[in-house]
Amino acid sequence: MILGLQIIALVFTLIMVYFTYLHYRRNEVNGIEALFLFVSWIGAILIVLFPNIFSTFSNAVAISRPFDLAVIGGFMFVIPLVYSSYVRTKRLEKRIEQYVREEALKSVTSRKNIK
Amino acid sequence: MMNVSIVIPAYNESKHIGAVLNELKITKLPIIVVDDGSRDSTFEIAEKISRECPSGKLTILRHKINLGKGGALKTGCDAAFSIGSDAIIMMDADGQHKVSDLPKFIQALEKGFDVVFGSRNLKFGVPLVRFLGNKCASLLISFLYGIYVSDLLCGYRAFTKKAYKKIQWQSVGYGVETEMVIKTGESYFKCCEVSVETVYYDKFKGVTVLDAFGILFNVLKWRLFR
Repeated sequence: MILGLQIIALVFTLIMVYFTYLHYRRNEVNGIEALFLFVSWIGAILIVLFPNIFSTFSNAVAISRPFDLAVIGGFMFVIPLVYSSYVRTKRLEKRIEQYVREEALKSVTSRKNIK
Repeated sequence: MMNVSIVIPAYNESKHIGAVLNELKITKLPIIVVDDGSRDSTFEIAEKISRECPSGKLTILRHKINLGKGGALKTGCDAAFSIGSDAIIMMDADGQHKVSDLPKFIQALEKGFDVVFGSRNLKFGVPLVRFLGNKCASLLISFLYGIYVSDLLCGYRAFTKKAYKKIQWQSVGYGVETEMVIKTGESYFKCCEVSVETVYYDKFKGVTVLDAFGILFNVLKWRLFR
């Protein structure tokens, strides 16, 4: 059972490593972002392959099961990411709105200047 | 005498925009149409009609991408006030608002009202879901913000330049009407309601149930965080 779960997790992390490399080669993520993602996914692979390392960490932070630590860690990783992408999207929406409206108003401004 | 312009946001309204503009041509008021990134021929039809009009009578602006009703209205209002209008009347592009109701808005503006809300007779011709949603929303806004407007979502409205500066909205979508009412209430402007006729041509357009939930969420958010 555990082995099956490990295989699924390993395949998933390897796919994510591939996607990170792909996006890096396409210049969609920069070197630092790619490095951060590589380190994260390689860390995940190590944890999948050697779960006992994880037990040491979970005991150190007084969490009884390693799985709980993985879930808490996952949430702590994902929530800031979701929040920051929400903020960025909002900022981008505002910029797009401003640009589109300014472009539309150009004709009125130029007509006023001619007058 | 006040300089009043008509602002019409339009999105995919090729079926109705021609009739609306042809009807409005007979009024002496300058008209500003904001095509909000339509994928049909709304812009082309409006452009064609504007070429038949005297210079400055009909201005057509175009958003390169669709921003939503609030964004289009903001562009239209900015344009109207930049060409020297003292007040604007906003109308929908789908022909549901009657040109014959325009004098009511102009009279109210000339009487000194800063904001004039159009109110449909919600007992006749309005789908039941919209009637109930509208009434509940009006009561909620009245409870939270102390301003009661009987038809919260009617897009037929007028306001002065002074009022626009204060009630300038952030919503780009259908939340604009509600935000406008809330900001009017917060700014203590002199406002009134005038009764208008409405005909629904397309029951699939306008505010959907999902939009309504989004607006409700914003109403509560503005109360808590603004």
